[in-house]
Amino acid sequence: MQTNPSPVGPSRPSLTTTPIVPPSDPVAAGKLVEKIQIKDLRFYYKKFEALKTINLSLADKKVTAFIGPSGCGKSTLLRVLNRMYALYPEQRAEGEVLVDGANILDPKIDLNLLRAKIGMVFQKPTPFPMSIFDNIAFGINLYEDLPRAELEDRVEQALRRAALWTEVKDKLKQSGLGLSGGQQQRLCIARAIAVKPEILLLDEPCSALDPISTQKIEELISELKTDYCIVIVTHSMQQAARSSDYTAFMYLGELIEFNDTETVFTNPHNKRTEDYITGRFG
Amino acid sequence: MAKDLARYARRQRKNGVILGLSMAATGVGLFFLGAILYALLTEGLAAIRPSLFTQMTPAPGSDGGLLNAIYGSAIMTLVGTVVGTPIGILVGTYIAEYSRNNRLGQAIQFINDVLLSAPSIIVGLFVYQLMVVPMGHFSGWAGSTTLAILVIPVVTRTTVDMLVLVPNALREAAAALGTPKWKITVSVCYRAARQGMLTGIMLAVARISGETAPLLFTVLSNQFWSTDMSHSIANLPVVISNFALSPYPDWQRLAWGGALLITVTILILNITARTLASLGGAKQ
Repeated sequence: MQTNPSPVGPSRPSLTTTPIVPPSDPVAAGKLVEKIQIKDLRFYYKKFEALKTINLSLADKKVTAFIGPSGCGKSTLLRVLNRMYALYPEQRAEGEVLVDGANILDPKIDLNLLRAKIGMVFQKPTPFPMSIFDNIAFGINLYEDLPRAELEDRVEQALRRAALWTEVKDKLKQSGLGLSGGQQQRLCIARAIAVKPEILLLDEPCSALDPISTQKIEELISELKTDYCIVIVTHSMQQAARSSDYTAFMYLGELIEFNDTETVFTNPHNKRTEDYITGRFG
Repeated sequence: MAKDLARYARRQRKNGVILGLSMAATGVGLFFLGAILYALLTEGLAAIRPSLFTQMTPAPGSDGGLLNAIYGSAIMTLVGTVVGTPIGILVGTYIAEYSRNNRLGQAIQFINDVLLSAPSIIVGLFVYQLMVVPMGHFSGWAGSTTLAILVIPVVTRTTVDMLVLVPNALREAAAALGTPKWKITVSVCYRAARQGMLTGIMLAVARISGETAPLLFTVLSNQFWSTDMSHSIANLPVVISNFALSPYPDWQRLAWGGALLITVTILILNITARTLASLGGAKQ
């Protein structure tokens, strides 16, 4: 795992073995690059089985949404993808998660290098208690030793991409905690993309935000997907419908249905998916 | 509706009673604080003269100051804080960041709390046995060691309390960037907890700068100017205690002056630390 990855990963085996979408959509299956393959993934909080044998592939340069009622395991699944759960000793995962063909559940994987490659944005904005500039520079400085001018350039680029630059360019030295909730969340997105990850995990990034901030972030997501494999967990079905290419519906720790977003929302194959998206439960 | 109003009125009466009790308790506390400050200021201000800072502790009946005691206290408090603070911060970090939920961490925290409430005279006796007896005489080093031992549990406790308050979401956010654990602690958690940790250090300094009992066992005091830490060295608390209990009015006056000096120094330290913390910290 390099820190500064080339656009083409080292190896991508099994592109043809597992179709990323059901065989009913062979056109899409042929064009896509599988960035992440989840195979027989089971997850436990102590003895509680939170994920039951998940099999799923996520496409590069596309947005995949995980939807489902509270407690269905969608956030848990997201937190497996950068092994965030490993911070807590009572949580464990079994099975395989291949990123560019390498199993990240392998205990020998270096978690810091893995996470440098997979960015994450959380439900609540989490700016660090430092200046706006330092918030962005923090992640860059972890793995790169840049001259000051170049660092400033990278910070500006990240803030521009996160549509925050015009609002903060005159107060880069002020604390990130002084921004509004929506600005803080965009700051967190800027921080995540400043380190040039390959995958971006978004855990209900808009649930604490007002509609205008939400709209800005959704626009940002659709703009960012040209470069990243984006996975978003959301409670809002409208958000999933608006901003994702593929949607996975989960229920009680199981993957019920996975298909392109349009199919899931207009012609779901499973009764429970239909009940959920039409608002009959959840 | 009438029933609801009765409940509401009862709640208001309860609120009134509790509020009254709280204000009375605050009043009692403030009264004694004010009384102490008043006594200190009226008696102590008379002793604050240039000679207090330029001359040594005098023989009874002659004029003098507290220079040797001020110097001794300053140097021992400094050494005690400089030695004790890093140990306290490291112990606190270990408990809060590395063993928060396991038995070892809980055991260390329990022992630390015992040490926190241990009478300082016991710590003085311990250092007496450990250093003064083998060395054969009192010394400034023994005094500084005692003070350092008193600093450790205060700083440990506040460090743990402040780090526990740092939300896990912040640690996760840092980890998600691929930040190594030590770097998360130093660059994110310490920053978030900085103000509280600094307050803890100030509390520790305030505590040790007034400690008398343990110094009686370890440094005693010295009538003369001495900067030799390996022997007895003058210090404010012991001088205050000796002079205050003496029958000589000159000495009693100097004791008041010393007491005022300690109080004002702690006040200035506190204000400075808080100002620095808010200046360097995040402007909200």
